[in-house]
Parts: sequence; C-alpha cells; structure tokens
Amino acid sequence: MSLYQLHRCVYDWVRAGEVASGAAGGAGRESFDSSGYELTDDEKKAFETKDIAAMYQLGLHEVLLNRFARAAGFARDDYRKLLEPFAKPEERRGRWQR
Amino acid sequence: MAEIVLAYCSSHAPMMSSARMAAPQEQRENFLGALDYIRELAGERGVQACVVLSNEHFTNFFLENFPQICIGLGEKNWGPTEEWLPIDKVWIPGHPGMADHIARHTLQSGFDPAFSHLLELDHGIMTVYYELDHDMKLPLVPIVQNCAVPPLMPVRRAYEFGKALGDAIRSYDGLARVAVIGAGGLSHWIGSPRVGDIDEEFDRWFLERLANGDLEQVLDMPDSEIELAGNGNHEMRSWLAVAGAVAPTLATTLAYEPIYPWITGMAVAHFETMLDGSRA
Repeated sequence: MSLYQLHRCVYDWVRAGEVASGAAGGAGRESFDSSGYELTDDEKKAFETKDIAAMYQLGLHEVLLNRFARAAGFARDDYRKLLEPFAKPEERRGRWQR
Repeated sequence: MAEIVLAYCSSHAPMMSSARMAAPQEQRENFLGALDYIRELAGERGVQACVVLSNEHFTNFFLENFPQICIGLGEKNWGPTEEWLPIDKVWIPGHPGMADHIARHTLQSGFDPAFSHLLELDHGIMTVYYELDHDMKLPLVPIVQNCAVPPLMPVRRAYEFGKALGDAIRSYDGLARVAVIGAGGLSHWIGSPRVGDIDEEFDRWFLERLANGDLEQVLDMPDSEIELAGNGNHEMRSWLAVAGAVAPTLATTLAYEPIYPWITGMAVAHFETMLDGSRA
C-alpha cells in the first residue's frame, strides 16, 4: 500500500505544477501538503528532499521518476549521474543485435 | 467515406520543442525537415482532421484505473500540460463524430477501448501535432495508449487495434480526408541509469522492418525484449498501430537521427497511402 501512496503523492505533486485545463489541477507545488499520504519515513524523506536516487531505489515508476526529476529541476544529465551507481550489466541480447 | 490521405509516425521527445537547438544542426534540420515536408503534404492533400496515437505518461490516468487504450471523444482537449514545454497552452478542437465512430467500430471489432470527453495532452501528442499544425486548429482525435505501466497490451494486439482503427476511419462518412499519426519511440530510456542511451542498431532494424513489411519479428517480441532498447521503446505500439491502420502499405523512412542531446532515436516514417499521387 505504501508504494502506491508514494506514487500517488509524487503524481499529485507533479500535476499540481502543471497547466491543467480546470480547477482539479495546477494549484501550484509550493503549497503542496504531503501529510495526508501514508508514507514510510524513508519515502517521506526522499520526497521532501527530492532525493532522486532514493526514489529510484524505493521503486518509483521510471516514467513518474522522470517527470518528478524534471519538475524538481534536474536535467537528465544530472539525474543520470545520480542513478548510474545502480546500473546493472545487461547480458541479454535482442534479436536485432548481430 | 473518409480516406486516409496521410499516415506517418514520428518520435516525440519533448526536447524537440524545449531544447531544439541542443541538437546538432544537421540532425535537427534533417529530423524537423521531415516534419516540415509532412506538414506541406497535409496542406496539399487537404487534411480535414487527424487521429494521433501516443503513450499515456501519467497525465490523464493513474494507478487506480489505467486503460490500455483511451479514445478522446470530446469537442475539445487541452494541451500541452507541461509548464516548461514552449508550446501555447490551448484548447484543441476534437472531432466527436469521427471519434465516436472509431469507438463504436473498434468495440464492434472486439476491442474494448476506454473513452474520455476531456483529455489533457502532454508532449506525447502535442509536439508532433504542433509540427503538423502550428496554429493548432486542425481537429484532433487523440488516442492514448498504455506504453508504460505493466501489464501492457501485447504489441501484436496494438497492431491489430490499428487495423480496426484504419477500418473505422475508412468507414466514416463525415469526413473525406484524414491523417493518422503515431507519436513516440524509437529507442530511449527514461527515469533509469541508462537515460541518454540510444540503441541505433535496434532503431535501424525496426525501421527496416516497417519498410519491407517484415513485421512478424516485431509483433512477437515480448516486453522483456522490447525493453532491451529502452523502456521508452514500448512506444513502438503507436507506430505499429499506424502500420496496422494502413496495412499493407509500407513505410519510407524520411529521417532517422540518433539525437543524443534529446536522448532519443528520432525518426519520421511515412506510409504513402496515395500511390496514385492523387490530391484533394
């Protein structure tokens, strides 16, 4: 349940800063209140400190992590550096690889 | 009955709008030049409305309810949502008549698309739509696909949906000239340690198969293999849907550029559906 809550919290925060069509979104991120989400201490800390590496390790969906990083002001080059320590060697090969 | 007078697919990296000049000049001009050519073609052929398929990037749907396909039925849709994307935020006209027809026809064909009377459109559709019509007045039927959140529709199913979509458009009698567009891909990684990588070998392999009609090797790929060319590679579903919509028409690659500053294998492929050269 908690991982869902983290996703919901991040999603709502990202959407709060976007240019939505109606009153449901776009309220701004500055006043965003995360206290209503059931987050673990680690999740709460990662969210509040915008810790991209911790978010990745906690299992935040990569598409949402990308949007979160962008909204938090990280360029891709920056967050790649943060995530590189978690890269795993890939031994599988696709059918297109000669 | 409507005719598909224009069919193409294009990558939709947001940097093609937000960091356009970051791309090397030759690559930028080649990729965007292909989209300029497409825009001219749309004008020559009198395109009256377009259907654009693209990935849902957690913009309209979330984990409570995540449809595999959702058709925008509304009179208008909003976009782009990203505050940093330098495209005017506007209401974009829909085409409820054609959208409703597509929904009903695909339901009759064995698919179960969701529908929405108000979609919010992110870079996935808006970057490519903007390049087609800078005024953003061309009626647009958006179709968002789940290309990101497992479990995903198998790619063969996306292709088959495209076949039903093509039949739907061609059986609609409220328009004469329609464009069908796939927006997304090719290889790229987002939100992962490999962000910024591009699998050029995959991209060229995929484009070759669209060009020669040898899609079987693509259509039986499991998601675990598709991901070897990046988690963004799941967006091939939009391309395959267009390939299905106009089958057996083959694709011609107008541009392919691995644009590393845009972290994506950027391609434009055109399916020439007007082989007799006819114009509006």
